[in-house]
Amino acid sequence: MNTELDILLVEDNQDDMDLALHALKRGKLANRIFVVRDGEEALDFLFCRGAYSDRSPERPPKLVLLDLKLPKVDGIEVLRQVKSHAPTKTIPVVIMTSSKEERDLVASYNLGVNSYIQKPVDFAQFRETVQTVGLYWLVVNLPPVAEENHHAAEHANAKH
Amino acid sequence: MQWWQQLVSADFMPHGFCYMWNPHVLWLNVISDALIAFSYYCIPLILVYFIRKHRDLPFNRIFWMFGTFILACGTTHIMEVWNIWHANYISAGLIKAVTAVVSVITTAMLIPLVPQVISLPERAHLQEVNRKLQEEIAENKRQESIETPLRRRITFGFIAAILLIILMVLSYWQSSRQASEDADWVAHTYAVMDAIERVSKHIIEMETSARAFSLSGENILLPHYEAARKAAIGDVEELRHLVLDNPIQEQRVGELERQLRSLQQFASTGITRRRDRRTIPQPEEIHESEHLMEAVRAITLTMRAHELQLLETRQQKTAAAQRLTRIIIVLGIFIGAGLLALAQVAVNRSIGASERTRAQINQLNAELEQRVEQRTASLKESLTDREKGLKEIADQKFALDQHAIVAFTDVQGTITYVNDKFCAISKYSRDELLGQNHRILNSGYHPKEFFKEMYHTIANGKVWHGEIKNHAKDGTFYWVDTTIVPTLNAAGKPERYVAIRADITERKLGEEALREAGQLLLETQRLAHIGSWAFNLTDADRRLTYSDEMYQITSLSPDTPLSLESTLVAVHPEDRQTVQHWLDANILGTDQTGSNQLGSNQGELDVRLMRPDGSVRYVSMRCQVHYDAAHRPIRVSGSTQDITERKLAEEQIKQLNDDLEIRVIERTAQLEAVNKELEAFSYSVSHDLRAPLRHIAGFSAMLVEEYGATLDTGAKHLIERVQAGTQKMGLLVDELLNLARVGRHAVNRRPTDLNTIVAEVIAMLAPETEGRAVEWKIAELPQAECDGVLVRQVFQNFLTNALKFTRSRTPAVIEVATREDEDEGQTVFMIRDNGIGFNMKYVGKLFGVFQRLHSTDQFEGTGIGLATVQRVVQKHGGRVWAEGEVDKGATFYFTLGAGKHAALKANGTSAGGQL
Repeated sequence: MNTELDILLVEDNQDDMDLALHALKRGKLANRIFVVRDGEEALDFLFCRGAYSDRSPERPPKLVLLDLKLPKVDGIEVLRQVKSHAPTKTIPVVIMTSSKEERDLVASYNLGVNSYIQKPVDFAQFRETVQTVGLYWLVVNLPPVAEENHHAAEHANAKH
Repeated sequence: MQWWQQLVSADFMPHGFCYMWNPHVLWLNVISDALIAFSYYCIPLILVYFIRKHRDLPFNRIFWMFGTFILACGTTHIMEVWNIWHANYISAGLIKAVTAVVSVITTAMLIPLVPQVISLPERAHLQEVNRKLQEEIAENKRQESIETPLRRRITFGFIAAILLIILMVLSYWQSSRQASEDADWVAHTYAVMDAIERVSKHIIEMETSARAFSLSGENILLPHYEAARKAAIGDVEELRHLVLDNPIQEQRVGELERQLRSLQQFASTGITRRRDRRTIPQPEEIHESEHLMEAVRAITLTMRAHELQLLETRQQKTAAAQRLTRIIIVLGIFIGAGLLALAQVAVNRSIGASERTRAQINQLNAELEQRVEQRTASLKESLTDREKGLKEIADQKFALDQHAIVAFTDVQGTITYVNDKFCAISKYSRDELLGQNHRILNSGYHPKEFFKEMYHTIANGKVWHGEIKNHAKDGTFYWVDTTIVPTLNAAGKPERYVAIRADITERKLGEEALREAGQLLLETQRLAHIGSWAFNLTDADRRLTYSDEMYQITSLSPDTPLSLESTLVAVHPEDRQTVQHWLDANILGTDQTGSNQLGSNQGELDVRLMRPDGSVRYVSMRCQVHYDAAHRPIRVSGSTQDITERKLAEEQIKQLNDDLEIRVIERTAQLEAVNKELEAFSYSVSHDLRAPLRHIAGFSAMLVEEYGATLDTGAKHLIERVQAGTQKMGLLVDELLNLARVGRHAVNRRPTDLNTIVAEVIAMLAPETEGRAVEWKIAELPQAECDGVLVRQVFQNFLTNALKFTRSRTPAVIEVATREDEDEGQTVFMIRDNGIGFNMKYVGKLFGVFQRLHSTDQFEGTGIGLATVQRVVQKHGGRVWAEGEVDKGATFYFTLGAGKHAALKANGTSAGGQL
């Protein structure tokens, strides 16, 4: 599975997953999406271990859409691990969740989340939001070059 | 008597014969002698008066001798007058002899006195100047004192003279009346004697005629007889008439008549016999006749003698009366003349005295001038002294009036004088007081016995002293320290009372206050269970004194001898050591070393006492050491408070506190657990309740998109309803979560600019106002100490509501302002709109969760907004309320903090709660 990947969608709920995928597809962003169903799987995927040990760490996803309420390992923990390891640090992580609990927001930003989005109940809004986020991170935003991974990631954070 | 008779009735010729009874010579002598005698009698009287007035006169005895001598001389002159009519030369001689003796003795006594008399004027002269000076000084006074009695004496003399003249006139009148009466009597006597003569003559004629006829028978004799007989009877009748006033003579007349009748009968018998029988009387018959005639003669003789004797007696009486009259007249003239002379002398003397005095004054004036000048200094000095004295008295009176309250009363207690201070303190005017009885000031404070005792004292002439509470006119009371001094009259009875008083009201009030303070202290000690004690270090016996409450606290009996050691028995046995140490350190130590071991003059100790019944009391002891100027301890005063109740309460509180502590910990743990659960709940709600909604909304939208072409209009409408439901549900969940979040949110107060917040909220609401005429009236808001995040929600809710409920208004007027609540001392925020308002009877529902006054169709909303507002305001300790009227708009008020009252009331109760 060493294919070029744009988005890693971490979502345990089938409905949410379908809605998200629907929205992304409408925005022509659904071609290179990979979906994992829990936090552990997400971490395995990102750190290329377990079921995904054959994956090359040199090809990280361009965007991680992370739900917070996840089985096994929750979104915050996933975020922490991602943001506390050099190879994954620079991967833009956008939390998309139902709640906007203050403590979640605070924790997320403290851990270096790149964006935090509450999923609107209204589907039109949801779709627009998802498309905006995808477009932004995949098209508008410039990722760091692989060789200066570390510095570029920091730069990207600061800029955001 | 014989001798005296001899002397007065010796057969000398009266001296008047020597003057040949020439009236001129006689009266010249009489008057001269009388005047001399009168003068001589007056001189001794004057001398006596003079001697009596000058008891210190030297030669007192010689004056008496002079008096006697002159009196005797006067008497000789009286005798001279007497002898002009009565030849009493022997008496006169005797009196002269007495006079001579007295004269000789006087002369004899006078001779040895001559040198003394000669020396007398010199001594008198020596005293003269001084005397004259004194006279001059006393002139006016003396003049008065002399003239008054003199005038009185002159008046008296004139009155005496007039009385004398009246006496003389009366006497003369009486005398002349007497003389006239006497002359009548003499005439009467002569008439009686004449009648007797005639009776006897006619009886003799009758008898002789009768006898002659009887002898001779000559008829010629018979008419003689008849005439004599008739005359005799008529004479007897006349005589009887004359002597009617004299029973003796009348009786004799009766006898004479009887004899006459007998004689007549005898004669008639003899005549008849001679005529008829021609017989002559027998010798025995003649003898009989002679006998009868003898009797008649005897009677007439006796009667005549009697009359003569009467006549003599009357003549003597007349003569005596005439003599007395003469004497009275003479003496009266003398005495009257003497009185006049005396009056003249007195007047002359008075005039002379005043003239002399005036002359002396004139004469002495120059001398006096000198002396006055000489003595000006001393006089001035003495005058100054006198003035000084007067001034001093005035000053003293002034000073007394300044200091004291002075009043005079008469014995009835009526006020006769008051000074200004009296008026000032009694608040009465002087007019109101004078004439009033002192009782008007009676305050009724003193018992009747008090005043009874006072009046008894002063009525007995004694000084009374005491303190009186009086009643002033305005109803206030005042105390006076009073001294009442009775002024006594000559009889030693009080005639008035002088009362001097001093205002001691303040002192009395002070005393009362002190007494009350003392009472209050005792009361306070009793109520507070604080006893006080004192320990005198300077006393030889080092006395310990207790207040009453100390005995209550220690349960010691009041007759316990007090000492530091003896009182230790009241202390709990376990604490005695402690107390002993404390005493040693604070008191006994102090005594010995000069300063206590604590290094301060105060000490405090809590100990237990044990009562005889075994009950334990807690007391707190405090003491303070007092030092003299040399920092030597002199006294220790202390208090002992029974703090048993407090101790027990404290222990109870401590126990309760401990219990409470545990309960708080338990409750806190419970609350924390609940909080955690709630948090977990709301967290999961936040995540899990929204997700299905999103799914419903999402999939229904997808359904329309994907299969819209195949769905008819009804199906599409239904799907729209589903989507609207999800929208609403989403909103509800969001707001509920918000409310819960606010509840959990810790208020983070900091100075916040509310103007900014309001501006931001209005900006945020801009889309809502699109196409509407909205007039914002935003006042300048103060900076507030609050949590900006939460307060933003408040304004957001209020302003959203305002916009929502003014939708029908053009323009919509929304006002944000503040006002100051003076009572609570805080700022009240106010949001007013001109919207549809509300009915005040539902005002209680406004702030409840899910409470709505309008259907969702009319005005969208969840019913959570104002509940959130209330939560936020309560979390700030403030209040929120509303006023409104249907169709007239609504006003919402809130404060951000507890007001004064609310702070007091709500102290300790937590505002707001947990969702």
